[in-house]
Amino acid sequence: MKNNVNIMSKIVCFSFCLLACFSCKHHENEYHSITDKIEAESKNYQGTSISSEAHIGDIKTIEITEGEHTFLIPERKSQITSYACTECHTKSLEQMQTKDFQQAHWDVKLDHANSNTMNCLTCHNGSNMDHLTSLTDQSIDFNSSYNLCSQCHTTQFEDWKGGAHGKRIGGWAPPRASMTCVNCHNPHKPHFESRWPARFNTQKVKERE
Amino acid sequence: MSDSNNKWFSLNIGRKDREASKSCSCGKTSGGCGGSSNAHHITEDEFTEAAIHASIGEERTKDGFEQVFDVKMDRRSAFKKLTASLLIGAGAVSTSCSVISGDESKEKAQIDWEEQFKGNYKLMTDDEKKATVDRLVRSYQLRTGKTISMSSKNAEDNVLFGYAFNISKCQGYMDCVNACVEENNQDRDSQMQYIRIHEMKDGKGFNFNEADDNYYHEVPAEGHFYMGTQCFHCDNPPCTEVCPVQATWREDDGLVVVDYDWCVGCRYCMAACPYDGRRFNWSKPEVPEAEINKNQHYLGNRMRKKGVMEKCTFCVQRSRAGKNPACVEACPTGARIFGNLLDPDSTIRWVLENKKVFRLKEDLGTEPKFWYFMD
Repeated sequence: MKNNVNIMSKIVCFSFCLLACFSCKHHENEYHSITDKIEAESKNYQGTSISSEAHIGDIKTIEITEGEHTFLIPERKSQITSYACTECHTKSLEQMQTKDFQQAHWDVKLDHANSNTMNCLTCHNGSNMDHLTSLTDQSIDFNSSYNLCSQCHTTQFEDWKGGAHGKRIGGWAPPRASMTCVNCHNPHKPHFESRWPARFNTQKVKERE
Repeated sequence: MSDSNNKWFSLNIGRKDREASKSCSCGKTSGGCGGSSNAHHITEDEFTEAAIHASIGEERTKDGFEQVFDVKMDRRSAFKKLTASLLIGAGAVSTSCSVISGDESKEKAQIDWEEQFKGNYKLMTDDEKKATVDRLVRSYQLRTGKTISMSSKNAEDNVLFGYAFNISKCQGYMDCVNACVEENNQDRDSQMQYIRIHEMKDGKGFNFNEADDNYYHEVPAEGHFYMGTQCFHCDNPPCTEVCPVQATWREDDGLVVVDYDWCVGCRYCMAACPYDGRRFNWSKPEVPEAEINKNQHYLGNRMRKKGVMEKCTFCVQRSRAGKNPACVEACPTGARIFGNLLDPDSTIRWVLENKKVFRLKEDLGTEPKFWYFMD
């Protein structure tokens, strides 16, 4: 029994020495902070095998390049139910607003900035209904309507290009696909509605009673 | 379980002469090889002995009294260990050696046995990971008749996951919480949730004492802002340090994960986390069969048991496949941004480099990979 204890204590001693020599914490504090680590480890970034392409799904996309950012946005024109506009807008607006024509767009009520700043014709061109129009009367395609929004919303535009504003489609990996302005904001009423939260935790209430 | 390259305890240590009795040479795992040779049959004695050996190891050289009373453990745990392994052994023996029970129940018993004595996931080779995942899938199939898909995908090179949260965008809708509960098969009864959305008063800063994380009124409420917390996947996680059994660790892509089968439920990690990011299963998690998300990962949303820790894994089953976590996908405001911190062209990197970002309790040195920012 004593012999055993002796051997045991030797083993314990030895393993303690081993532990001290080969401590598990080698690489701790290799970098001062996570930002240093990210910077150092991404210097020779080779890319990954992971792609998000499959997760974009059936959404038809177009590639755009804005500044140094190139990414995909959803194609818009095929998603607008009554496009092309000229299918109905065969006559001039004055003629179409008479009683002989069926009333349309009754559900559109402009709630975007105030009437001093905006009306329908700030964005729409009465003589070219199939295109949008910039503040300086340049034609803007419905597919690149972000060019219209970015005239006023410059900071949001910068954030959107970089990826801080606007939701990603699919996944985090390349290729990047982002929602464009009108995918989340109704251009006629761009603010988000207030509503009730999606859920309420009844158990938490009981636990805290 | 008789592989000699196991990194954890296996039944054969120092007992090479008994090897033949551990598994059938026919290669079938269902336990019923049907061979007439007696040498391949595990007798009840051998099985019980193996079970005892599994639970008390080298102490079995001592006599019965010493085994129980002369070891450096408290008596209660000694008794517990002994009884537990005897029961397991007896159970396994009765089902796998029984002539009456069918092949399925034998297979079930075999799976249970192998799952009971498998090693820590962190130490497994890729083959062993695949084997345990296959066992879990088969076991689920045997029990419910439903097929799930479970992945054991490892961390990818050149990937470090990071998350950014825009506090000026969040409106408190809680769609993220809903998506998280459904994606991660969280217990519906206890309403345990990984994500908390805190409603805070404008002008008071991050005042968690006065914040409400269980509001129910129309949102966004006047004069309030919203911010979400969950596991921040610290790069220097204190929770993994305190785990006495190393059931939680940081993966190479930065995810802090839990091996639910290795966790003993001591909740040290819960106490060590400065961000309240960890959750405990006080009851057996129940999810209606129709609502179970069958796209699972071993370290992610597979079904948990009672008494183990769990937490946000940045939806490992999704993120390692290139998808965004469920909360990111569900957020209607785009307040949540997820991506690869090592990719200089990723959107998360743009946010970190161009927005004024901050993290919670930065001074602790935990290096959370979850940044907050404002427009």
